Amino acid sequence: MEKKILFKYIDDPLQVNIDTYMSHGGYKAWEKVLKSMKPAEVIDEMKKSGLRGRGGAGFPAGMKWSFIPKDSPKPRYLVCNADESEPGTCKDRVLMEHDPHAVVEGMAIAAYAIGSHQAFCYVRGEFAYPAAMMEKAIDEAYSKGILGKNIFKSGYDLEMVVHTGGGAYICGEETALLNSLEGERGMSRIRPPFPAIEGLYGCPTVVNNVETLAVVPQVINMGAEWYAAIGTEKSKGTKIFSLSGHIKRPGNYELELGTKLSYLMNDLGGGMLDGHKLKAIIPGGSSTPFLLPNQIDTPLDYESLAAAGSMLGSGAVIVIDERTCMVWVIERLIHFYKHESCGKCTPCREGTGWLEQLIGRIEAGEGQQGDLEKIDSICDNILGRTICPLGDAAVMPIQSALKLFRDEFQYHIDNKKCLVKTEFEFK
Amino acid sequence: MTIPRKMIDLNMDNQPLRAEADATILKVAEANGIYIPTLCAHKDLTPFGGCRLCIVEVEGMRGFPTACTTPVTDGMTIRTNTSQLQAIRTEILQLILSEHPCSCLICDEQDECKEFNATIRKAAVTTGCRYCSNDGQCELADVVKWLGIKEINYPISYRYLPVEKDDPFYDRDYNLCILCGRCVRMCQEIRMADTLAFKQRGQRTIIGPAYSRTHLEAGCEFCGACVSVCPTGALSEKTSKWQGKAESEAVTTCALCGVGCQLNLQIRDNKVINVLPAEDHLINNGQLCVKGRFCIPELVNNHKRLRRPRYFHGGIEEQLSLEKAIEIAAGKLSHCPPEQFGMIISSNCTNEDLYVAQKFVRTVMDSNNIDTMSRVSYGSAFGAYLNLMNKCTTMEDLRKASAIICIGLDTRFGQSVVGVELRKAGKRGAKIITINPRPHNLTVVADKWLQPETGQEAGLIDKLAKLMEIGANKSKGVKRPAASKGIRAELAEAIGILCEAESVVILVGSDVIQYRGSSDIFESIDKLAQTLQAGVMLLPAQNNLYGSLMMGTYPEILPGGYSSTDKARLNHFAKLWGSELSDSNLSWNAESVARGREIKVLYLLGEIPLKSRPAADFVIFQNIYAPDFFNPEELVIPSAAFTEVDGTFINGEGRLQKVRKAVDPPANVFPDWKILSLIAQKMEKKGFEYLSSEDIRIEISRVIMGFHNSDESLRPILPFKSEFHLSAVSEGEMVNFKSKGQKPFLLQTRVAEHTYRGFTLSAFVDGMKAISDENVLEINPDDAKELGLSCDDEAIVKSEEFEKIWPVKITPQQPARMLRVTLSPGDFSGHNPYPVKIRKNNV
Ligand SMILES: Cc1cc2nc3c(=O)[nH]c(=O)nc-3n(C[C@H](O)[C@H](O)[C@H](O)COP(=O)(O)O)c2cc1C
Ligand code: SF4
Ligand code: SF4
Ligand code: SF4
Ligand code: FES
Repeated sequence: MEKKILFKYIDDPLQVNIDTYMSHGGYKAWEKVLKSMKPAEVIDEMKKSGLRGRGGAGFPAGMKWSFIPKDSPKPRYLVCNADESEPGTCKDRVLMEHDPHAVVEGMAIAAYAIGSHQAFCYVRGEFAYPAAMMEKAIDEAYSKGILGKNIFKSGYDLEMVVHTGGGAYICGEETALLNSLEGERGMSRIRPPFPAIEGLYGCPTVVNNVETLAVVPQVINMGAEWYAAIGTEKSKGTKIFSLSGHIKRPGNYELELGTKLSYLMNDLGGGMLDGHKLKAIIPGGSSTPFLLPNQIDTPLDYESLAAAGSMLGSGAVIVIDERTCMVWVIERLIHFYKHESCGKCTPCREGTGWLEQLIGRIEAGEGQQGDLEKIDSICDNILGRTICPLGDAAVMPIQSALKLFRDEFQYHIDNKKCLVKTEFEFK
Repeated sequence: MTIPRKMIDLNMDNQPLRAEADATILKVAEANGIYIPTLCAHKDLTPFGGCRLCIVEVEGMRGFPTACTTPVTDGMTIRTNTSQLQAIRTEILQLILSEHPCSCLICDEQDECKEFNATIRKAAVTTGCRYCSNDGQCELADVVKWLGIKEINYPISYRYLPVEKDDPFYDRDYNLCILCGRCVRMCQEIRMADTLAFKQRGQRTIIGPAYSRTHLEAGCEFCGACVSVCPTGALSEKTSKWQGKAESEAVTTCALCGVGCQLNLQIRDNKVINVLPAEDHLINNGQLCVKGRFCIPELVNNHKRLRRPRYFHGGIEEQLSLEKAIEIAAGKLSHCPPEQFGMIISSNCTNEDLYVAQKFVRTVMDSNNIDTMSRVSYGSAFGAYLNLMNKCTTMEDLRKASAIICIGLDTRFGQSVVGVELRKAGKRGAKIITINPRPHNLTVVADKWLQPETGQEAGLIDKLAKLMEIGANKSKGVKRPAASKGIRAELAEAIGILCEAESVVILVGSDVIQYRGSSDIFESIDKLAQTLQAGVMLLPAQNNLYGSLMMGTYPEILPGGYSSTDKARLNHFAKLWGSELSDSNLSWNAESVARGREIKVLYLLGEIPLKSRPAADFVIFQNIYAPDFFNPEELVIPSAAFTEVDGTFINGEGRLQKVRKAVDPPANVFPDWKILSLIAQKMEKKGFEYLSSEDIRIEISRVIMGFHNSDESLRPILPFKSEFHLSAVSEGEMVNFKSKGQKPFLLQTRVAEHTYRGFTLSAFVDGMKAISDENVLEINPDDAKELGLSCDDEAIVKSEEFEKIWPVKITPQQPARMLRVTLSPGDFSGHNPYPVKIRKNNV
């Protein structure tokens, strides 16, 4: 079912102002945390709520916070990951544009929970407007004494700043993000050490997605039990799904986890565009494997999608209809990943390059026998063998397409033309 | 005290092993003789994990962790060489090879090719066949061989990048680059120079300075550390790249400056083909500067090296044998009265050469007329400078210092190894203050840059010393003076830093030595050092300046630093040497030559005091190259370079260091001491029957305590007696810099510091031309504009004493109204700064 927690006031144009935000109960959670909760209690509350990271990996937020060493003499940092660049994903942007104070408040609470006095919001380079909204919200919060020194007379200090990236998908990967934030080239770091131990400037750091943080104030206000009661047994709460592709009403929809995909597509999305037949669905952003039309009733939660052979990822649902050539889809995707590979590790750097060449030539009708096997082997060569998951992200949709739609690829190679008569060209 | 690391047990390839808890799997494997293929890992660099060749299997771990990045844990079970791992590695390596012109790596004819040249070698550069300068030294090739790769499943994609050759010293062919990132990490982590970076993304990723700058523009120090760690032929030394693989190596001491780095000379066919830093050495710690790394092969293998003696007389030139040359020299010298003789010797010579030379002058020529050119280059400051040497501190102290003051030091090219130490010091929290009128490479490293006007350094240092003294007296503890009327804010800040420092080291570069009144600077430095109880580290351009003092190659100084007018000492040496010694003749020195005083025989041993013919009836010129000037009466004797002799140097720290013969000198060319000994013997003088430099060393050790020490790793720091007094150099009044109104132009001349045996390196080493600003007039952009000068112009510079024409170099490094020109040693006369008039040369 659609359930608006994050989106409760998303349609109120005044929500971006701090007064309106506060009149809706904003910053109450922040005040409550500062005045009456110990950091460990906040972390406990998060753990109890079952909130999982919404950036893609779905790691439990409370658990991540608890990894920050208690006795480290180093400063700790909180970083909000607002680099949102996965094709299909466009939810963080909406939150920052329409309810930036929720993000600020969530960041503040998270910072407090891990004992951080400095929080960064790393916004994707191209996101000029969201960055401006975040900056405005932070300024307003400072002017009300909600950020800065001795907040709410609690003795707690917190500084917050927006940092805009240079514009690279890899900078959304948390360790590359930290490099970029430090002024270095956005390249993934080796783990271990994990950011919780050695993150920004070598200090304990938590990186969380915008959506993960934005819901934190509600969890504090309403209580962990309330939040945990929403969703399924293991996938708690709500999640924003960015619906796009061949669908009548694309857009961001907040659903209780466990809601059926068909409800999102048909009841909210209004069904297929121009009445065409459904061919495939990417359920969790461009790096997740495809679902087929017969899986349309899969509940949208971490476990069910995994069982269906895909992932919840960032919650970007891309709907593909029968007129679309899968070779072309994959060619577009691999072009993106090849372009965005940071170049650090061999399998991803060289592998994505070769994949693009091979898939590109199949798409162009110049494929050769044996190309598919070569693609298979390059995919095997990348999957699980790279430094960061970008390599996996590039490979998973390809492997899935080659499994589900291999005939289309073979047809391209055998007949030098497309099996699917594309009536309209996207190019 | 180091806490012993926790030891753990693990199992690798069915071998039970014990290892330190935080070591990586790779380190443990290497320590136990288990080979794991690697390309991006390097022992000195942080793990990168990029190439993915070092993957291993670890029980209980998902996937294939990389050995170079994964730390071992207790009870770990690791397999390094399963068939699955080999298959994956093969696939990964194929991916790397797909972008590397590599037909030579997998060619069937590989073995025959080496022996019989069976394959037609027409394969283009693009295929890499035998056309890689790294042939035979390629780490990539080693791994290919180990994995037994015979074919590649991908078409080879050539990047079509132009080979980058425009920067000096090393070429870059990024078509061969495998993006292991070693060069970048070396540049960033170890050198901390941040010149190299990754650029672009994905398959188009490439290495280079950011923003498409050239290496020169990007601040590259040309230390060559990146070239040393490159596993492929992507980076290669211009002079050495086609010389092949070295057959042997020899560790010796660099002769190109007083830091005294340890070099690892790469030898093939009795030729020094390349120079690498000696590993883990206390002084340079595996690093070199551009001179040590790149200049030596061109310097010592140069086709212009002298090979046969030459005799000019009566307008004709004669080539002769060494015997004949010795005979002529002996003949000329035996007829030369002591006061009519003079020798100028290079402080690039070994101690053994220097010792024999002064003994020769004192016992054979019965004279004290021996000097080095340093007296001229250091001008009036020479005495103060030599005296400061006695306070010299060590590299170890520098590494421990909590504050470092750099005076007149720029470490971009020469002495960049010290620059590395400074950046390291900054990183560990030491505070750095740099004092220099010009913007220089340390301004970005230093916490505080004090920028006095040129010539006002002494005043500033004095003030610093005085304020520190007051601060120390007023309160016993730490007291920061506040900025006030008398104290500029930045000075107050510098003092704040010094007050809090536990130990201070003062580094003195060569930018302060060459003008009038610079003796004041050294006296001020001395004062400051006393107040701060700081060690001083002089970084002389002449590598064995300390040695020249210890060996006594000055009229005023006997070996050990004793005064040559000291009767008792003279008697002592007379007894040792079995010869009468003169205590007179103290009126001649290198200055006299510069001023043109006529003598009968001038012996120039590794030095060129003037660009033109020196005023002497007869000149004996002994060096590795011929002089530029022509003397109607002259004997030219070739001598061996430092790579061709055994001996010792003493570096700026006062540390005795070994010089090892790496290659033979050209046929019939001998070390300087040998030539001198032969002449002495020809003149039937006793005491020169040395068979080897070791014989000389034994003799020196009888004269100088502690000189002979067989422990190579920790040679003693030699103290000397400063009992001598140097005769002052004549100099005019200090120019008043603070004149009112429009300031006049002041010309500062400085002597080139990148030299060897009197020659500028740029004359023989191509790359040095690009980085040494010799014989150009450096001028500030605003001044240039005012004078209508642009970069290709020449300027006429006129003072009361001279008129000269120099090409201009417009640089914001030059302060306003200050001009600077760097001259080769022979051109330099040390009287400056001059007030000058300057105009454009309209041709
Ligand atoms: C290539 C790549 C791109 C990523 N991009 C983003 C992103 O744009 N936004 C984001 O929140 N997380 C992104 N992630 C995931 C982050 O690494 C990280 O897991 C996440 O920010 C953690 O936040 P969460 O626990 O709140 O989900 C990306 C990961 C990879 C491998
Ligand atoms: S997987 Fe790709 S993006 Fe990630 S570190 Fe390797 S090269 Fe960079
Ligand atoms: S230039 Fe050499 S060291 Fe640098 S990344 Fe390429 S192969 Fe590695
Ligand atoms: S710093 Fe001096 S001693 Fe060291 S390599 Fe350079 S010139 Fe030689
Ligand atoms: S050596 Fe370990 S990844 Fe390259």
